[in-house]
Amino acid sequence: MGEYVVEMRHITKRFPGIVANDDVSVSIRRGEVYALLGENGAGKSTLMSMLFGMYEPDGGEILIDGQKVVFHSSTDAAARRIGMVHQHFKLVGNYTVAENIVLGIEPMKKKFGFLPWVDMQEANQKIRELSAKYGLEVNPTDRIEDLPVSVCQRVEILKMLYRQAEIMIFDEPTAVLTPQEIDFLLQIIDGLRKDGKTIILITHKMEEIKRIADRCAILRRGRLIDVRNVADTSVQEMADMMVGRPVNLSQEKPEARFGETVLTVSGLTVSDEHHFDVVRNVSFSIRSGEIFAIAGVAGNGQTEIADAIAGMVKIASGSVKLLNTDITAASVRERALAGISYIPEDRQGTGVILDFSLRDNLALREYFREPFSKNGILNDEKFNSYAEDLIARYDIRSGQGAATQVRSMSGGNQQKAIIGREVEEHSKLIIFVQPTRGLDIGAIENIRREILAERERGAAILLISLELEEIMALADTVGVIYRGELLKTAPCTELTSQDVGLYMMGVKQA
Amino acid sequence: MARLLTGPRAAVWSSLTAIVMTLLTAGVLLLVMGRNPAVAFYSFLQGCGFAPKANYGGGSGMLSDLFDFLTYLAPMLLASLAFIVAFKAGLFNIGIAGQMLAAGFLATVLAGYNKTLPSPAAKLIVVVIGIAAGGLVGAFVGYLKYRFNIHEVVSTIMINYIISYLTGFFINNNYVDMMTRTSRVCSPAARLCLTNVQIGGVNCKIPFGMLIALAAAFAVHFLFSRTTVGFELKAVGRNAHCAQYFGVRVGRRLVLAMALSGMLAGLAGVNYYLGYTNTIIPKTLAAMGYDSISVALLGSASPIGAIFAAVIVSIFQQGANYMSSMVGVAKEIASLITGILLLYASCGTYMKIRAERVLQRAADRTRDAGQGGSGQREEA
Repeated sequence: MGEYVVEMRHITKRFPGIVANDDVSVSIRRGEVYALLGENGAGKSTLMSMLFGMYEPDGGEILIDGQKVVFHSSTDAAARRIGMVHQHFKLVGNYTVAENIVLGIEPMKKKFGFLPWVDMQEANQKIRELSAKYGLEVNPTDRIEDLPVSVCQRVEILKMLYRQAEIMIFDEPTAVLTPQEIDFLLQIIDGLRKDGKTIILITHKMEEIKRIADRCAILRRGRLIDVRNVADTSVQEMADMMVGRPVNLSQEKPEARFGETVLTVSGLTVSDEHHFDVVRNVSFSIRSGEIFAIAGVAGNGQTEIADAIAGMVKIASGSVKLLNTDITAASVRERALAGISYIPEDRQGTGVILDFSLRDNLALREYFREPFSKNGILNDEKFNSYAEDLIARYDIRSGQGAATQVRSMSGGNQQKAIIGREVEEHSKLIIFVQPTRGLDIGAIENIRREILAERERGAAILLISLELEEIMALADTVGVIYRGELLKTAPCTELTSQDVGLYMMGVKQA
Repeated sequence: MARLLTGPRAAVWSSLTAIVMTLLTAGVLLLVMGRNPAVAFYSFLQGCGFAPKANYGGGSGMLSDLFDFLTYLAPMLLASLAFIVAFKAGLFNIGIAGQMLAAGFLATVLAGYNKTLPSPAAKLIVVVIGIAAGGLVGAFVGYLKYRFNIHEVVSTIMINYIISYLTGFFINNNYVDMMTRTSRVCSPAARLCLTNVQIGGVNCKIPFGMLIALAAAFAVHFLFSRTTVGFELKAVGRNAHCAQYFGVRVGRRLVLAMALSGMLAGLAGVNYYLGYTNTIIPKTLAAMGYDSISVALLGSASPIGAIFAAVIVSIFQQGANYMSSMVGVAKEIASLITGILLLYASCGTYMKIRAERVLQRAADRTRDAGQGGSGQREEA
C-alpha cells in the first residue's frame, strides 16, 4: 500500500461559463487532516464533490489506495469508505437520529421467520456505542427537527462512522457553529485522526487550519496555488495566497464622529406567534456616524429587533423613531423611503429572489419609482444600466452578468449584491444582520470596509452579529442581549471580549 | 434534439416534443383499437374547419366549422389565462370552472333573459357582469387566503360545489326549459357572437370572444413583463417573504392576483355560456375549467404560449364529435388525449434535465476521444 490514500491527478471540471477545477492534483496521506483553503467559488467543494461521486470529472483521474476508480454516484464512493458532511445537512427532519443514520443500510431482521423488519433496537444500541466511543453525544430517539445545528452535525458525523468511512470530507463545518461548538468539533476531528481516519477539511478560516490541519492545499479560481505544511506557514501567508494579493487582516477604524441621534428605540417588545415575548422592553439609540452592535448568542431576539425596526414584524409595545418621526406604525415601504436599509440575516430566503435575475434583484428598492418605472410601466434600460453600474462598483461576479439567475451565484456574491443594493440607497440607518456569515476572508474584508465607509459617510449603523470578533472590531457601542433583554449597553472601548461573553451567557448582571 | 431542449427556446421545443409524443401515443392507442390514426387525426382537423369534410349539411361549410371552433377557443384561452395569472403569483386556481359558471349564470339571468335591452348594451352588460362576478369570487378566495390562511385549492374546490348546486337550484326552479332540462336559451341580443351571418354562402357564427381573448393574452403578457404590479405579483409567487421585505403588501397582492384570475375566468364563463353553449346544464361544471390547466402548463405558463396551446387542445376537444362519427371511436378520447398531453407537458422539466445529461456525456466522449480514447463509458 502506497503512501497516499487519495490521489486526484490533473482533475478538470467545467460548468457552463466557468472552469471550476483546472488541472488540479492533490495527494492525501493516510491519517492526516488535509485542509482545502480557498475563497468562495475557488473550486474546493467541486473538487470534493467529485471525490464523493456527485460529479464526474471532465478530465483527470482519481486513485484510492493506488487503484484507479470511477465513481458514478455517491453510493460508489461510500463503497470505497468515503464519507462527506455537506455544508447544508442532508437529514430527514421528521425522522429520529437513529433512523437518519441507518437510512439505506438498515439492520434487517425477519419477524416470525419471514416478515422483513427494521431492527431499530439494534440500530439505537449500535449508535449509542459509536457515540460513546467518539464522544459524540446524541440521543438516538430524538427527532432531527427538534435538534440544534451542532447536534445535527454530530448526527452527520455518526452517519459516516456508521458506514465505516475511512476518508471523511467536511464541507465548511464551522460556518454554522458558535465558538464553543467549534472547539468541540475540532476536538472530535482530532480524535478521528488519532483513530486513523483521513480527514479532508474544506474551509476558508485560517485559524482552524492552524489549529487542526497537517497540510493545506490552497485553491484560487479553480487552480491549485500551493500545498503547504501548516506548521511552516503563517496565517498571513495563507491569506495572501488564497486571495492572490496582500490581505489586511485587521481593519483600521477611523476616529468616530458622532452626529445627531438617528434612531431611537424605546420600550420595544415583540411577541412571537405563541404570544411569548422574544424581545422585552428594549431601548437604545444610534447617532449618525455610530456603529451600534448587538452581541448575543443566536436566538435571543436579535433578528426580531431588526425585523421590528424594518417593519416586518408587529410590535407588541414600545416605539421606534427615525430622526424626529415616529415610524412605529409605518409600513415596510414607508420606512425604507424614510431612510432605512436592511441587510437581512437570511440572505437567500429574504434578501433575494433566487429565481429572479441579478438585474431584477438589484432593483428591488427602486423599481416602483422614477426613473425605474413611470405610471407603473417598467423602464428596462434603467434596470439594465443600474445593474451594470452596481455590478462594476460592488464587484459582483456572476456567470452571465446582469441576466444571471441569482440562484446560480455563490453566497458571497449574493451578499455583495444585497449590500450593494441597500448601501446604494444612501439611507440614514443601515441594519446589518450577520453580514459576513459563511463568507470567505476576501468577502469579509470587503464588507467590513463597506460598513466602515458608511459610518464615515455619517450613516447610523445597527450591526447584529454572532461573531464577537466582528463586533469588537467594528462597534462604537455594544449592547449585549440575553433572552430578549438588553443586559448591558456601553462604549466598545469600556468592554473586553471576556465581559461581553459573560453578559451573553447571562452570567453577569448589569 | 437534446440541444434544442436546453437552448434559449427550450420551452417551445419541450411543448412541441410533448405534442409529438402525445400524437404518437394516441396513434398507438387508435391502432390498438383497429383504427387508422391518420384518418382519425385528419378528422379532428376536419371537425374544426381546418380541412374540408366530404360533405356538408345545408347552409354550412368549412368556414362555419372554423368559426364554431373559434367560439370554443375563445373561452378556452381566457380560462387558461385565468390560471396563468394566479399561477405566476404562486396560487393554484382550480376554481376556474366555478367562477365561469357563476359569471355565466348571473349574466344569463340578469341580461340574457331581458328582452328589452338593445344588442350592443346587452353584450356590454354581459361582459361587465362576467368580469364582476368572476372577479368577486376570485377576490373572495384571495381574501380567505390572506385573512384566514385558507389554502386556495381547498376553498376553490368548496366554492365550485357551492356555485354548482346554488345555480343548479335556481335554474331548476326558475329558468329551466322543460324540453331540454337545461336553462332557457338567452336572447340573441345578449350573446357574445353574431349568429346566422352569411359568408361565402354559408351560415357562420362570429364570436366576439376571440378578440377579447387575444387582447387579454397580450394584456397578461404586458402585465408580467412590463409593469410594476406584474413584477410584484411574480415576486410574491417566487418568494413571498422577500416580497414583504422589499415593501410589497403581500396580502393585497394575493387578493389582486386571485381577483384578476377570477375576472378572466368570468370572461371565459360568459363567452362559454353566452357564446358557445348558449345554455347552462344545471349542477354541471364545464370541463373546460380543468382543461384550461393543461393548456396553461402546455404553454409553459406563458400567455403567448397559451394561445398556441389552446389551439391544440381545442382541436382535440372540438373536433372530437366529427372524429367520433367518422372513425367510430367514442368522443371521450379527446379528454384522454388532453390527459396524455398534460402528462407529457408536465414531463418537460424532466426531459430538459435528461437532455442536459446527454449533452454532458457527448461532450465527455468527444474529449476522451481527443485524448486518445481511453474512455470506456457506457452509452446513456
